[in-house]
Amino acid sequence: MLHRPQLSRRDFVRLSSAGVIAGSMSGWFETLAARAETAKDRSRACILLWMSGGPSQLDTFDLKPGHPNGGTFQEIETCVPGLKISQHLPGLATQADKLAIVRSMTTKEGDHSRGTYLMRNGNLPQGPIRWPTLGSLVSKELGNPAAEIPNFVSIAPYRFFAPAAFSAGFLGSEYDPLLVGDGAAAGGEDDNDQYALKVADLAAPSGVTRPKVDQRLGLLGSLNDRFIGGHSTANAIAHRIAYERAVKLMHSDSGSAFNIDDEPSAVRDAYGRNRFGQGCLLARRLVERGVPFVEVTLSGVDGNNALGWDTHIDNFESVRKLSGALDAAWSTLMIELAERGLLETTTIVWMGEFGRTPKINPSGGRDHFPQAWSTVLAGGGIRGGQAIGHTSADGEEVEDRPVPVADFLATIGCALGIDREAQNISNIGRPLKVIDPEATPIAEALA
Amino acid sequence: LWFSTALVVALAVAALTSAAEEPRAAADGKLDAAALTALIDREIERRWQADGAAAAPRADDAEFLRRVTLDIVGKIPSVTEVRAFLDDRSPEKRRRLVEELLDRGAFATHFANTWRDIILPGANTNLETRALAPPFDAWLRIRFSVDTPYDRLVTELLTPAAMNEADPNPFVRRASVPSPLAFYQVNERKPENLAANAARIFLGTQVQCAQCHDHPFTHWKRNEFWAFAAFFGGAALPADAANEAGGEKAVEAPAAVAGLSIKVPESDMVVEAKFLDGTPSAWKPGDDARLELARWITRRDNPYFARATVNRIWEHFFGRGLVDPADDLDARNPPSHPQLFAELARQFVEHGYDFKYLIRAITASRAYQLTSRTDSNASSNGDSADDPQLFARMSLRRMTPEQLYDSLVEATGFRDNTPRQQAAVFGVETARAAFQAKFADQSARRGEAQTSILQALALMNGSLVGDATSLDRSERLAGVAAMDDFLDARQRIEALFLATLNRSPELAEAELFGAHLEQAGPEGERAALADVFWALLNSAEFIMNH
Repeated sequence: MLHRPQLSRRDFVRLSSAGVIAGSMSGWFETLAARAETAKDRSRACILLWMSGGPSQLDTFDLKPGHPNGGTFQEIETCVPGLKISQHLPGLATQADKLAIVRSMTTKEGDHSRGTYLMRNGNLPQGPIRWPTLGSLVSKELGNPAAEIPNFVSIAPYRFFAPAAFSAGFLGSEYDPLLVGDGAAAGGEDDNDQYALKVADLAAPSGVTRPKVDQRLGLLGSLNDRFIGGHSTANAIAHRIAYERAVKLMHSDSGSAFNIDDEPSAVRDAYGRNRFGQGCLLARRLVERGVPFVEVTLSGVDGNNALGWDTHIDNFESVRKLSGALDAAWSTLMIELAERGLLETTTIVWMGEFGRTPKINPSGGRDHFPQAWSTVLAGGGIRGGQAIGHTSADGEEVEDRPVPVADFLATIGCALGIDREAQNISNIGRPLKVIDPEATPIAEALA
Repeated sequence: LWFSTALVVALAVAALTSAAEEPRAAADGKLDAAALTALIDREIERRWQADGAAAAPRADDAEFLRRVTLDIVGKIPSVTEVRAFLDDRSPEKRRRLVEELLDRGAFATHFANTWRDIILPGANTNLETRALAPPFDAWLRIRFSVDTPYDRLVTELLTPAAMNEADPNPFVRRASVPSPLAFYQVNERKPENLAANAARIFLGTQVQCAQCHDHPFTHWKRNEFWAFAAFFGGAALPADAANEAGGEKAVEAPAAVAGLSIKVPESDMVVEAKFLDGTPSAWKPGDDARLELARWITRRDNPYFARATVNRIWEHFFGRGLVDPADDLDARNPPSHPQLFAELARQFVEHGYDFKYLIRAITASRAYQLTSRTDSNASSNGDSADDPQLFARMSLRRMTPEQLYDSLVEATGFRDNTPRQQAAVFGVETARAAFQAKFADQSARRGEAQTSILQALALMNGSLVGDATSLDRSERLAGVAAMDDFLDARQRIEALFLATLNRSPELAEAELFGAHLEQAGPEGERAALADVFWALLNSAEFIMNH
C-alpha cells in the first residue's frame, strides 16, 4: 500500500508549485498541482536588462545639456514630442512611445554588492531573511511548474560581488535561475563558443553516448523508485523532479531554445554580435517558448565582462560603447517582440544597482550615486511615451516624484498582474508578500 | 528573580518554563548522558502516546552508521568502516561508534562548518563573507577540537582580542591567523547588525524588526532594540574603512554617544544600554562593554542562551528543532516538548556547555535511532505519525554542500589539486569552493534544501562525477575493477554500493545491476561498472541523509 507522503504545510505549498505530477503520486496531489496551474496567468513575461556596475543616468536617459555636469553627449528628439534621450540611443528613440523613463529613482546604497542586492532582492542584505531575487519571485508566480524550460533564466550574469542577488533565497534552489553563460567572469569573450551562452553541464561527458545515458538513467530510475517508494518525502521527490526536468532539458526539443545559431544571420547582426546582443536574442526565443522571466546582464563590451557600467574613469567613451550594444539589442528586442504580438504581454525593465555622480571627476569619470538616478520600464502593462519625475538642472537632486526601490519593484509586479495578496512562507517561518504591502506602485506608469 | 524587571519578558519566559515541572529524577542535579537519554526517550514517548502516534521501527545498522557518521563527522563512512560496523556483534557498538566519531578531527571540522553557517550565513555564496571565513573557520575548528565550552566560545567570539586593531584588508588576511573577528566584519561593525544577529544566533530571538519600528509580531519595542545595540556602540569604525574605495555610503552609521548609550537613528532619542530583559548594565567607563554583554548572554540563568543552543543541536541531529524555526524562541512559538526542552537546557548548563555530552545523549535516544522509512510504521496512523514535531520517524535531510562534497570525495577517491592558498584569491576557486557555491541553498532549515536543475546537471554531467565514473581517471572504479581475481561481478557491485549508499544491494538490485554487467560482456564490464557507479552517485539515496 502506498503511504501518504510525509509533508508539512510548507512542503505541500512548495511541492504543489514545483510541479509534482509524477505518475506515482496519489490522486490528491495531482489535483492540487492542476489547481495551482490553472490559477496562474501564464501569458505574462518579464525581461530584466540588468546593467551591472551602475549606469550613468546623465549619459543615457536624463541628460543635462548646457550644464557643466552634462558632459559631452547631446540629447536627441524621440518619436514622443518633448521626450529626449542620449544621442547614442537612436534605436530606442524611435520606440520611445513604449518607454516609461523613471528619472527620479532615489535609494540609499552606494556599494556594488549591497546595491545589487537591494535593487534585485528589494531589501538590504542584513538580518536573517534570505530575500529572493526578483526573477525567482516573479517566475514562481507566473511560471508553469511543469514547463520543460525552467521558468527563470539568467543570461550572462556577473554574480561575483553579490551571488545572493541571483538566488531564490528562502524560496529554495528549485526557484534559482537557470544560469546561461555564467562564470565568464573577468576574462574575455570566447569567440569560439558563440559568446559562451550555454547552460553548464547540459551535455553528457564526451564518450558517454545517448544510448549510454539512457541506460544509466534506467538504472538511476530503478534506484530512485525503490528509495522514494520507501521515503515519500518532499525533498526526495523534489530531487527526482529536478532530475526529470534536467533530463528533459538535455534531451527534448525545448533545449533547442538555446541554439541561437538557428537564427538568420541578419537577425543576429541586428541584435549585435556581442554577449548582451545575443543574450537578448536568446531572451526573445525563451519568452516565445513561454519562459516568464528572463534577465540579460550587460556588464561590459570589448571583452571586458566585469561591472562595465562602473565608469569611474573615462566615462564617456565607455558609456558610448555600452550604449551602442544596449541600443541595438534592446530596440531589436522590442521590434521582434512586437512583430510576434508579445510586447504587450512582456514587461521590459532596465536598471542597475545605482546611478552615477552628476559631477565629473578628474579622471573624466563618474562615481557611485544612489540619490537621484534613472530606470526604465517598457512593454506589457506599461504606459510608454513618458518620463516620470525629474531631477534638478545639475542632476544632484530629485525635484519631483521620488521613487524608492519598493515602489519601483511594486510597479513591475503590478505591470505583470501579480496578485498583491500573493505571499510566500519565509525562512523565518512568517509569510511575506511578493509585493511589499507598504509600497505604492507608480500609478501613471501603468497602462 | 533577576528577569522580573521586565514584565513582558517575564511573561515570555514563563511561557517557556511554566509547563516545565522538572522531572523528579533530575531534581537533585546532574544527569549523566545515559540518564539524559532515558529522559529524552520518556518525554518523546509520552507525546507519542498523547497523540496516538506509532513510532517507526529502529533503523538498521547500516542506516544508523551512515546517518550518525554524516551528522558527527560530516561525510559518509568508508567501505572499511561499513564492513567493520556491520560485522561487529557487540550490543554496545552504536554507543562506541559515537565515541569514536567524537574523537576524530573531522568532528571539529564538521561542527565548525555547521556553526560557521549559522554565524556567518552566506559564506558559500557571498564573496566578502567567503573571503573572511577562513580565519573564522580555523578558529572554530580549534575551539571545537579542544572542546571549548560553548559559553567560553561565545564570549571569545564577542570580545575578540584584535577588536581594536585597524581592520586588515580582508583579502590578504590569512587563514593561518585563526580569529573570530569575521563576526564583526560581516556585520560591518554596525551596532544594529551586531545586536540583531547576536540576539538571533545566541539567544534564538528575533529582535531585528524592532530596529525600525516596534516589532509587529512580538513585544520588542524599538527603544529596547537600540538599548541592546548600544553594547556594540564602540565597534563602529569610521565610515570609510569598511567600504570599497569609491563607494559612498548614503546611510550614516548611528553614532555612539558618550557613555554606554546610543542615538536612535532618525530621532533625537538617546537610549542607555540595557539587556534584552530590561536590566541595565553595571558598565563603568573603562570596562569592555562587549564583555559585559557576553557575560549577560552566557549567564547560567539567562533563559535564552542554553535553550537556543540546545535547540540548534537538536535541529542538527533531527533536521528540526524542538522550537521551529530554530532562531525564533518566543512565547508565540512554543516548543513541541516543553519539559524536555527545559531539562536539556538545564543539563547543558550543568555540564558546562559541553556539546559532546548532548551529542552522546541525543544519538543514543530511541527517536534518533528510528528509521526514516515512511513505509514501515507499525500502523499507518495518518497525519499524527507523520507530524514532524513528534519525532516519530527520522526526517530525510538533503546533505549540506560540505557533506555532499566530502561524501563524493569519500566515495570516489577524488583529490582536489588546487593549491589551498589560492582559495580566497580573485577568480581562482578550489573544486570544493566552486562545488559548494553551486550547491548552496538559502532556504529555511539545514537539510530542507531541494535539488535544482543546475545541480542535477552538475551531478550527472559535471567533472566531479564524470571523472569518478571515467574509465581512465577513476581510482575507485579502477580499484574495484582490478579486483577481478578475487571479486566476482556480484561482489564488485556490492563494493560500489558500500562505497556510496553504505549498504549491500537488495536482492532485486543485485539482480538488476548484475544483469547490466552480464549484458555488457567481459570487454564491456568495466564500462558497465561505471554506469552502476554513476547511477549510485546520482541517486536520491546518496544525496540524502536518511
